[in-house]
Amino acid sequence: MLQTESTPYIFSELYNIIFQAPAYVLFLEFSLLLLVVWIIIHKQSNGEKSLSKEEREEIIRNWKPEPLVTEIDQNHPALVNNHIIDGTVGKYITVDGIKCLNMATHNYLGLEEYPKIKESAINCIQKYGVGSCGPRGFYGTVDVHLELEERLAKFMDQEEAVVYSYAFSTIASAIPAYSKRTDIIFADECVNFAIQKGIDASRSRVVYFKHNDMRDLEKKLIEQHKLDLKNPKKAAKTRRFLVAEGIYVNTGEMCPLRELVELRSKYKLRLFLDETVSFGTIGQHGRGITELLCVDKSEVDLISASLENAVESIGGFCVGSHFIVEHQRLSGLGYCFSASQPPFLTQAAISALDIFENEPKIFNQLNDTAEKVDEQFRYFSKLELRGHPISPVKHLYLKDIDDSDKCEKILRKIADECIKKGLAVAYSEYLPVEKFPPRRSLRITINRLLTEDDITNAFKILEEVSKSVV
Amino acid sequence: MIAGDHGRIKNPNSCWTESRGFYLFYFIFVTVFHLILLSLPFITTSMAWTITNLAHNISHFYFLHIIKGTPWISTDEGKHIRETHWEQIDDGAQWSRQRKILFSIPIILFLLTSLYTKNNEMHFITNFISLIFVLLPKLPSFHHRRLFDINKY
Repeated sequence: MLQTESTPYIFSELYNIIFQAPAYVLFLEFSLLLLVVWIIIHKQSNGEKSLSKEEREEIIRNWKPEPLVTEIDQNHPALVNNHIIDGTVGKYITVDGIKCLNMATHNYLGLEEYPKIKESAINCIQKYGVGSCGPRGFYGTVDVHLELEERLAKFMDQEEAVVYSYAFSTIASAIPAYSKRTDIIFADECVNFAIQKGIDASRSRVVYFKHNDMRDLEKKLIEQHKLDLKNPKKAAKTRRFLVAEGIYVNTGEMCPLRELVELRSKYKLRLFLDETVSFGTIGQHGRGITELLCVDKSEVDLISASLENAVESIGGFCVGSHFIVEHQRLSGLGYCFSASQPPFLTQAAISALDIFENEPKIFNQLNDTAEKVDEQFRYFSKLELRGHPISPVKHLYLKDIDDSDKCEKILRKIADECIKKGLAVAYSEYLPVEKFPPRRSLRITINRLLTEDDITNAFKILEEVSKSVV
Repeated sequence: MIAGDHGRIKNPNSCWTESRGFYLFYFIFVTVFHLILLSLPFITTSMAWTITNLAHNISHFYFLHIIKGTPWISTDEGKHIRETHWEQIDDGAQWSRQRKILFSIPIILFLLTSLYTKNNEMHFITNFISLIFVLLPKLPSFHHRRLFDINKY
């Protein structure tokens, strides 16, 4: 009963609604209905042309696979300039069977004098084995890792520290963890390769300023500031980073940290400082450039350093406030996706930190040695010394020769001849993809244990060889 | 954070809306919201439909066309920082299945609302304006385009 009465009622109501409506309403509704139908029928366009069967086969026929291994040039520097090193690397190093004074590797503090480090590492192997078998977040955390992080934070007088398993990936992961596609990075031209890769990985816009040239940096900051004034909405969402090294491994120069810190607060930058060389070498307690130049820890947003140079272990670390460090535990790719440091090397780093804390005099000794080398090595007739006087890394450049290929040949020959005469110095190798290829040089690293006689002897050998080669 | 992927992975911010479960949830959510409105004695049927339609379109506009980026820090170095959710759907491919569905829903809801409000002029104008707000930014020609640089960065 009910149905028969209500059904015509609905239809008449529908009829009333539709035919009493104004024309524009009906028109709009009808076109919307058509739009829905069109959307349902419309096919998704991929923007790709569909190929016929012949065309597809043609493409497959023309495809030639690239060989897995290409032919290698037999004169490739990696094949030709090989040296074989025996035994432990300390103050002396055995290269190709010749015992040489070591001015080539980055063990500045001569920690081989302390057998305690080796003992603690061996004890650690007996307890944990050789590997940690997993990333930190995936069964790879051993108590020594936590201890090392705590100790590093305490040593650097910061809130927290995060330890990476490889020094290269420390800063190369830390930069892209913060700086994204829409941000800007201001970086020194001579930053090391790890920083360059970190900047690349961040996909941010990068502005390089001239090496240690604060005027150039300020000029570029002012340029950016002018751009920001034109588009304040964009500027409000853009983060600006400043990346510098404490002591530049590629030049041996120290960064003018006080000026950098001033510019940081003036232009609201976030300052990342890489202390690959300067950690454990300069400053009264070896805390690096912030300690040496008395810069407050809050003025530098993130400090990253290597455990492979002064500490003579493996790995690297970042220190900073709680926020800075915790962010990397999920966003630092080198931290998340790489197996953690082997526990025994972590233990070795802890033991090295014990020595740093108990015997801060070693840093003064290293600085004195570096200054002595600096004084003597200024007097080469064919070579020119560059680098900060207390820097443990210095570079020797050829005087009066600019052509880089010619320099490379001569410097390689000098390095080889020096090894034959019992002095190991390294020709500073760079990859061809380096952003601003540094000037060709011999890299001198200073060991704390070098005596004055050693330095004089090294000077004599280098002077003699360079005179005969050039 | 997507660990251990080999090859291309879908944008996790937009691929969850592909699932059928999402559309079931969508339908139930809107229906329940509407039924609650209808059950309130001081709201007329026309008013309930208009409120449902407006609420639906406002949330469409806010969630699909105003919020940008992803709620977490992704490993793609901020590829989607300046993209709205609508632009992230299917990596920007136009007229995909998901887009068709999300494009049609507000229109169908609008037509139903017009019917139940008996094409009353005030209701019609309000609902139509809200419909324009959710349809225009969905058009392919508005992909990555911001009128007067509103909400650009």
